[in-house]
Amino acid sequence: MARVTDRGGRARRPVVLALSALLLAAAVLASLAAGSRGIAPGHVLDALLHPDGGEESTIVRSLRLPRTVTGVAAGAALALSGVLMQALTRNPLADPRIMGVTSGASLGVVLAISVFGLTALPAYIWFGIAGAALSGTFVYALAARTRDGASPVTLALAGTALDASLSGVVVGVLTVDSQTFDQYRFWAVGSLAGRPPEVALWLLPFVAAGVVLAFGAARGLDALALGDDLARGLGRNVGMVRLAAAVAAIMLTGAAVAAAGPIGFVGLAVPHLARGLVGAGHRWVLAVSVLLGPALLLAADVIGRLVTPPAEVRAGVVTALIGAPFLIMLVRRARTVTA
Amino acid sequence: MKTSAAVPFRPSARSHPAAGRTVVRAGPLAFVVRRRAAAAGLLLIVLTAAATLVSLGVGSTFIAPLDVVRALAGDGPSTVVVQDLRLPRIVLGLAVGAVLGLSGALLQAVSRNPLASPDVVGVSQGAGLAATLVMSAGLGSAWLGPFALLGGLAAAAAVFAVSGRHGLAAHRFVLGGVAVALALKALTEVFIVGADPIEGQRARIWLAGSLAGLGHRETLTLLVPVLLLAPVLVWAGRAMDTTALDDDVARGLGVRVVRRRLALAGVAVVLAALATSQAGAVDFVALAAPQLARRLVRAERPPLACAALTGALLTVVADLIARTAFAPVQLPVGVLTAALGGPYLLWLLVRRRNR
Repeated sequence: MARVTDRGGRARRPVVLALSALLLAAAVLASLAAGSRGIAPGHVLDALLHPDGGEESTIVRSLRLPRTVTGVAAGAALALSGVLMQALTRNPLADPRIMGVTSGASLGVVLAISVFGLTALPAYIWFGIAGAALSGTFVYALAARTRDGASPVTLALAGTALDASLSGVVVGVLTVDSQTFDQYRFWAVGSLAGRPPEVALWLLPFVAAGVVLAFGAARGLDALALGDDLARGLGRNVGMVRLAAAVAAIMLTGAAVAAAGPIGFVGLAVPHLARGLVGAGHRWVLAVSVLLGPALLLAADVIGRLVTPPAEVRAGVVTALIGAPFLIMLVRRARTVTA
Repeated sequence: MKTSAAVPFRPSARSHPAAGRTVVRAGPLAFVVRRRAAAAGLLLIVLTAAATLVSLGVGSTFIAPLDVVRALAGDGPSTVVVQDLRLPRIVLGLAVGAVLGLSGALLQAVSRNPLASPDVVGVSQGAGLAATLVMSAGLGSAWLGPFALLGGLAAAAAVFAVSGRHGLAAHRFVLGGVAVALALKALTEVFIVGADPIEGQRARIWLAGSLAGLGHRETLTLLVPVLLLAPVLVWAGRAMDTTALDDDVARGLGVRVVRRRLALAGVAVVLAALATSQAGAVDFVALAAPQLARRLVRAERPPLACAALTGALLTVVADLIARTAFAPVQLPVGVLTAALGGPYLLWLLVRRRNR
């Protein structure tokens, strides 16, 4: 009933934000504690605050901490990118993976290794961003071309087709070029495992810049949701808002893929969840998404570590398992298709 | 023709029922032959035979076409290479492609949706998941076929249940199927990771859709059930035309639409699952073959034989490219068809922009 009285749950928003932060904290703790060797949460804190050089302390600090930080950065980047893409294309089914942007980024990374012989993460990030930009532009052009008649469903289908063929090319390159395979294996496909600590450091500036751009564009995106004409009437520079949001979405996706490989559905599910909790205002949706995205990705990673010991299921596989039913639900919902 | 708008085919004066057909009589029997379809079929047979000859000749050692023919007859120095090394996998490629072409043609006709193909909407992935379970459990390959059938049927049931309620002609049905396919793929990955490393690796290689190292045994396991289904296929070829009509028109003609549609879709699922169980994921052949055949025959629904021939041709050419383009490394044929099939699906979508 609170919804009715306070118009979209405004009073609830800070509470949701706090709960999301708590959820993220729990996910971080779980990610530091869980694994082939479980460590009690109390010991995790000890290891973080007073490193004693013992076994548990080493596991937490040198193995699980980098992995967790990478997960936080990649999860936040993917969730924000999903919010931005859904707003930009006015398509509730948009997601970096579904629209083919992540596979563009991973093709960029693979080509950086295979064709240009690059081995350093910064280079991966730039190539990832370039690949994401190319495939993103392609899908967006397709969206513009089919805007009159194409439903969100058609666009999502076009994105999955692009994803299938770009992933096919990635597999092809990796099969043909065994040297690249050896290197790329460590950047695997949608996994957080085995990341050196520097990854998070390199990733951070890109994610931070993306977050700043996204929040800067938030007001403009609210206006954009009303349609281009109305947004102009409200005094928004529609072109600039679009550009800022698109640059942010591409940068975030490219960086996340370069760090963790193509991971899908975080960008699809989290924005919907956030909108359901705090309404459609983009500043709040972005704020909640930036917390829930990492929480979801870390949870997926922890589940992946625990289901098939001693082997690990990649985080991207677990997010697909969680996300695909979500996509089915959206597709089934009548509202999705009226656009 | 507005009623069957799912297939944007513009009927010309030549496709009038009476035009372009010849009645062939042989004693008490009489057949109506669609001339264009017959010509297309002949062309496809010639092309497929040529592609097969080239594929038999090309590889780590080149064998001239005449020598290939001689080797096929069991004569000449290349007999071992041609008959024992290359022929088995090429024959399997032909069989898999043909079965996938049949399956795609049936499913597309039933759903009146050119995007509804077993490898797009999750049927192949369901069969793949079941086959992975068989492999990772260490069961013999005799179990592959039956389990893949079950998996394919279960996946089809799931897809119809979750996204069939708006009709099969809608893009929504296809996207629902894509989502199911993604979930099944993820589940397959979980089982592969959880399996014994060696069995898991075996399943992974098999799933990539490679014909390497496969041969006559797989071909037989695939073709024997398909041949048993031959009477059903003959029936399906005829039933397809009336089932693809607008529902009211079909009912007016006395067709039990729902039951027949289910039967045809069931046949399509069985075929796709059989093909997947023997060769892994060779994606997009079932999608592309019927569409190419349709353009070749210039009919809304190509005869099943033409779709099968196109599928066989596509697969053999794809396998030829996949194993020679990057020699000595062989790409799995499924990787090549996935890379080429995606743009094709995109093109189909953009062309159908007014839907």
